[in-house]
Amino acid sequence: MSALNTLEGFIHRHGDRIGRGLMVLILTLIWIPIGVVVLMSFAGEGVLSFPPETYTVRWYAEVLNNDDAISATLTSLRVSLVATPITVLISLLAAYGVARYDFRGKNALQALLTLPIIVPLVVTGVAMTLFFGNINLSSGFTTVVIAHIVRTVPFAALIIIPTVIGFDRTLEEASKDLGASELRTFRRVTLPNIMPGVIAGGLLAFTVSFNEFVYTYFVRDTATQTLPVYLWGLIRYGFSPEVNVISVLFLLLAAGILLVAVSLTGLKQVILRG
Amino acid sequence: MSVANRGRQVLESGAEYVREHRRARLGLLVGIPASVLVAFFILPLLTMAWMSFLADMPPAPLTLEHYIRIFTGDTYITVLWRTAVLTVQSTIIVVVLGYVLAYSIARFTKRATIVLLLIILPFWTNYIVRMYALINIFQSGGVLDTVMILVGLANEPSGIMYSHTAVLIGLAYVWLPLATFPFYASLTNMDGDLIDASKDLGAGPIKTFLRVTLPMTKNGVIAGIVLVAIPAFGSFITPALLGGTNVLMVGMVIEQQFAASFNWPFGSALGMVVTVGVVLLIGVGSWLGAGGKLAGGGDE
Repeated sequence: MSALNTLEGFIHRHGDRIGRGLMVLILTLIWIPIGVVVLMSFAGEGVLSFPPETYTVRWYAEVLNNDDAISATLTSLRVSLVATPITVLISLLAAYGVARYDFRGKNALQALLTLPIIVPLVVTGVAMTLFFGNINLSSGFTTVVIAHIVRTVPFAALIIIPTVIGFDRTLEEASKDLGASELRTFRRVTLPNIMPGVIAGGLLAFTVSFNEFVYTYFVRDTATQTLPVYLWGLIRYGFSPEVNVISVLFLLLAAGILLVAVSLTGLKQVILRG
Repeated sequence: MSVANRGRQVLESGAEYVREHRRARLGLLVGIPASVLVAFFILPLLTMAWMSFLADMPPAPLTLEHYIRIFTGDTYITVLWRTAVLTVQSTIIVVVLGYVLAYSIARFTKRATIVLLLIILPFWTNYIVRMYALINIFQSGGVLDTVMILVGLANEPSGIMYSHTAVLIGLAYVWLPLATFPFYASLTNMDGDLIDASKDLGAGPIKTFLRVTLPMTKNGVIAGIVLVAIPAFGSFITPALLGGTNVLMVGMVIEQQFAASFNWPFGSALGMVVTVGVVLLIGVGSWLGAGGKLAGGGDE
């Protein structure tokens, strides 16, 4: 009993310092691997020796001059820029329906919107391959875009639905009382007000799509090589210093998009999603 | 009347119908998202379920042989068992570290925003990049070896790549943020006065934590466990890159059936086993009280 009391007293006096110390330790462990990648992207010797003895920006130049890397980046951009607007539109329709209408199957729709997050990616990936094969839709750009839409809708919906629900309905009712139709009210009143949430949902959808690997890996053809698929090939079949550079570019992209999304809707929306 | 005019008339009367009929508007609003997900998500899963009962590529007779093959004999039971062990181990690590992290951010930190950003940024970074970052640390002659030799814990570089430990750390590393957020949410939603009340009544910090804080945040903890366990159980990238053929997990075996063995019906049966496992996990989770919180998501 006295040992427990001593421990209780110790934690009572030093608990906050222990907690902060552990927090800093865990954060450090999270960031060390990323820091090493950034450092190694400037390593003069290439990949295998740590710490590097000389530093260079040569690998950055090589990535910029590498046609495969550039073409994979462009493919990724094409896929994400086609998939993201469709995803946002689908999520917006669903969000407005869920927020403004009462109907049977509302819970089922909301469950359907989150389900793709829950089923393991490798399972959905192979299921899509089978399905596309059965309906004779050959693998390529279209199947990759469809897969990306299925993958990103849950993320966009999780941000956009609470945004539409949170928007003050009395403004919409005022607009309708003044004679505006529902569509006009949506365009002139609702949409401008929920725009930050819609953009944040779109940014998250774009990020998830740009980083998507597992679905793409299964439903693509060899001509549709996205950047994550290209990166996978580089890592799986022999290392190259360029992997570090591409990793740093992914990191910068994530940081940029995250900061914009957070400044638009606040950290709570982005992290906790309702 | 020209075709264009006729077409426009149809469109206009359609638009008017939608404007005036609430049910038609609702049908469009809900129908489009629902049909996209049913067509390209639910139907593929049903196709997989059907395929798992086929003896061979269709057309083929129905059979249970794939399921029998999975559950009799050691090969696949071993893989499923290893997958379950890695899932449980990584979930325990993530829950302990994530709770400590969330607790410190919620109670002891003034700069919560910056710390949360530092946790979410790696999570938004490409999954394969994060795996590659760990390869840099784990490989023979990598950062871990360099440090171990420097402090005298090892004599020569060996690395820990392609081991159970490497896969375990990899899974914990990628899923830690995902559990931290629901923990943090339930800790900040909890009434802090309850802790003060408990302490005023003479309970020490350990007793207060076990009797007040932990029960109050139970639902967040269960949500975090389910959110981490689901993708860990279905992992494919992490064991493929950090474990190789030494640490086969069921996700990798499924991939091999499609990419290398071309045994699609058998791969489908394995996919069904994983799906049923995940559904059971969610069922237990919501039965224990995490309902409505199971919305997060990651890359596997």
